[in-house]
Amino acid sequence: MAERQPTHTHSDPHPLIEARGVRKTYSFGAVPVEVLTGADLTVQSGEWVAVLGSSGSGKSTLMHLLGGLDRPDKDGGEIRFDGQPISVSHGKRLDGYRNKDIGFVFQFYHLLPELSVFENAMLPGMVGNWFTNRSKARESASRLLDSFGLSHRLAHRPGQLSGGERQRVAIARALVNSPRVLLADEPTGNLDTKTGAGILDLLAERHAAGLTLIMVTHDPAVAARATRVVKLANGRVVQPS
Amino acid sequence: MCVAMVVTVVSVMTGFLDMLKSSGRQIVGDVIVSSGIAGMPYSDEFLVDLKGMTDVQGATPLIDTIGLLRMPYPRGNMKEVTHVQVWAVDPLSLATVTDYANDLYWKPPTDAAAAKAMSSEDPRKTLTEGIVTDGKTLTQTRTGTPGIALGMHVSIGNERQKDGSYLPRYGWFMPGNDVTLTVVPVSSQGKIAEPREQIFPVVNEVQTGIYEVDHLRVYIPLTEGQRLLRLDEAPLYDLNAEPDAQGRYPVIGKTPARVTKILVRAKPGVSANALRDQVETAYESFAKRINEDHTRTASMPEFVNVLTWEQQLRDLIAPVEKEREMMRVLFSLIYLVCAGLILSIFWSIVVEKTRDIGILRSVGASRLGVMWIFLRYGFIIGVFGSGLGVLLAWLVIRNINAIHQAIGSDAPPIIWIGSFVLTGLCAMGLVYSIWRGRLLRILLWLLGTMVMGLIATGLALHHGTLIWDPSVYYFTIVPDQVDWTTAWTTAIGGVVFSVIGAAIPASKAADIDPVEALRYG
Repeated sequence: MAERQPTHTHSDPHPLIEARGVRKTYSFGAVPVEVLTGADLTVQSGEWVAVLGSSGSGKSTLMHLLGGLDRPDKDGGEIRFDGQPISVSHGKRLDGYRNKDIGFVFQFYHLLPELSVFENAMLPGMVGNWFTNRSKARESASRLLDSFGLSHRLAHRPGQLSGGERQRVAIARALVNSPRVLLADEPTGNLDTKTGAGILDLLAERHAAGLTLIMVTHDPAVAARATRVVKLANGRVVQPS
Repeated sequence: MCVAMVVTVVSVMTGFLDMLKSSGRQIVGDVIVSSGIAGMPYSDEFLVDLKGMTDVQGATPLIDTIGLLRMPYPRGNMKEVTHVQVWAVDPLSLATVTDYANDLYWKPPTDAAAAKAMSSEDPRKTLTEGIVTDGKTLTQTRTGTPGIALGMHVSIGNERQKDGSYLPRYGWFMPGNDVTLTVVPVSSQGKIAEPREQIFPVVNEVQTGIYEVDHLRVYIPLTEGQRLLRLDEAPLYDLNAEPDAQGRYPVIGKTPARVTKILVRAKPGVSANALRDQVETAYESFAKRINEDHTRTASMPEFVNVLTWEQQLRDLIAPVEKEREMMRVLFSLIYLVCAGLILSIFWSIVVEKTRDIGILRSVGASRLGVMWIFLRYGFIIGVFGSGLGVLLAWLVIRNINAIHQAIGSDAPPIIWIGSFVLTGLCAMGLVYSIWRGRLLRILLWLLGTMVMGLIATGLALHHGTLIWDPSVYYFTIVPDQVDWTTAWTTAIGGVVFSVIGAAIPASKAADIDPVEALRYG
């Protein structure tokens, strides 16, 4: 995404991610299920937005669309990142967007079980140009894991870690390429309250350091940690009452 | 394993083919001039022309025909008769063109060590140089009688041993015995005359190394062949004149002796094809000269075949070449198995790792990047597999004779006793697993005990099985040179098919929807 020129400097609040009238329909056999029916969402740079919704409300779908893993329906609205449309991007441009501009954190961590903690954390850095990114990714992963208190776990496999530790590794992986936005899909959904709070503290630290955060959750208590909460209902984003 | 198998089989067959070709050239020289059964006259003059050519090392005339050979066995009045290919040759000049003199089998040992290496029953131990001289001259020196040399497998009296030597069977050591050769003369008009026969003492036997030759061919002196086949020099009668009182027509000249073939040997470094062209040109020039000379009583045949040794032995070489190509094609089907195996294994991996592929896509891996992961592994497997295959084939081929010898010998006691010890250890492991109640270990130790027990028993009972038994197959040494062209071609094929096998699952992996993979993978 190096060819895109940001319309604002990083320090000024400006619309970093914009979703306009986004619709998404899934087909389960012959039955189409419209998950998003025209969702609008604008996230300013430096914001921490929580998208609150019940199970099946389309939270994860919205997250995948914002993260460039999926595309809206044809004529199903538009998604922009830093003023540039990503919903119509293809191939290398979209891969670069996922690799450099955003980071994903999932409820079930999604770490590669065969790789060590350190290798998992530097994975995004190894994607793309292996030779130029490797040393930078190594340095970045090492620094992040150290700051997350995982420096003694570098050689361990994900299966040897607790849930909280795994999620911290997942966050380190999401941050290793210094993205501008972190997309967190129920980051505490698989953790107990205390561990979940630790993860939220960690995210808060990153937000305080200037990272833009979009977090989907079904838990109002978790959503309350964000600077702004929006609700997702009937396939649309609604402001909280 | 696939690559090793293809390389080993094709290399051995190529080696065998090379041996066959090498032997073939030693039998017929480089170029063969052939005419019909009526023969070529003035061969002695043509030979002088040939020997005067700078690229010719030697040339020899011969008559090639078929005949029946009455053997001295069995004892009693009823004797066995076998059909043979008769070569009436000038043995001395034949030895300059072919390996005839070296191919004479019965000769005394060259030294004491060679004699010691021979079996106590080997007749060669008691032979003298006389039998070699008789063979080289096709004359029984003792009686001055023209002799016959038989191909090594013409007689049933020669029994081939595992070391490639021969021992007389049923007491029939052929040299010294008389055989009766019957041939049928054919006139220049193609009319068959009365069969003629002659008794020849067997002076020696010939081993060329090619069974098809050695079980059919016999050698007699050229002059005897010409006489028996009425191809010798004969008076020319004037049939238009009045016969004398005895009914004889007046003699007006002589018809020259004839031969049916001339074998030519090229000087070292001269190709058979180049010499063939030269000989063909020389023959055309010679025939023209003779045919234009009206003082001659015979004309040169209009058509002769001038062939290289390879063209002449095409019937012998072509089937082996075809067999080799067939083996290459059949064994190359293994490639498909190899590609299929990689395809199914990689397909399983893609299905198993769908979620991981989704994770890679989520961190920015491109579709091509995901595809490249699998293609790269297919390539690496292909390179390592093919490399190991070539290495294994090289090890097997280089040691094939030692391996062959080991298979053909009794297993050393240390090996089979050691195998029984290992069987015992496996049995102990089995008992321990039963005591611990671990089903998988019980099964594995049971299998180990059974397999080792079978191997140990097989080795203990093994008393040598020669796969290429020299008493059946016609070579004592298995070719042990790797055919590197085949090796590299096969290795590259292995890599290509590994990548092809990986390409389908790689494409499937690239097509995986990351959202689906993360949600349901």
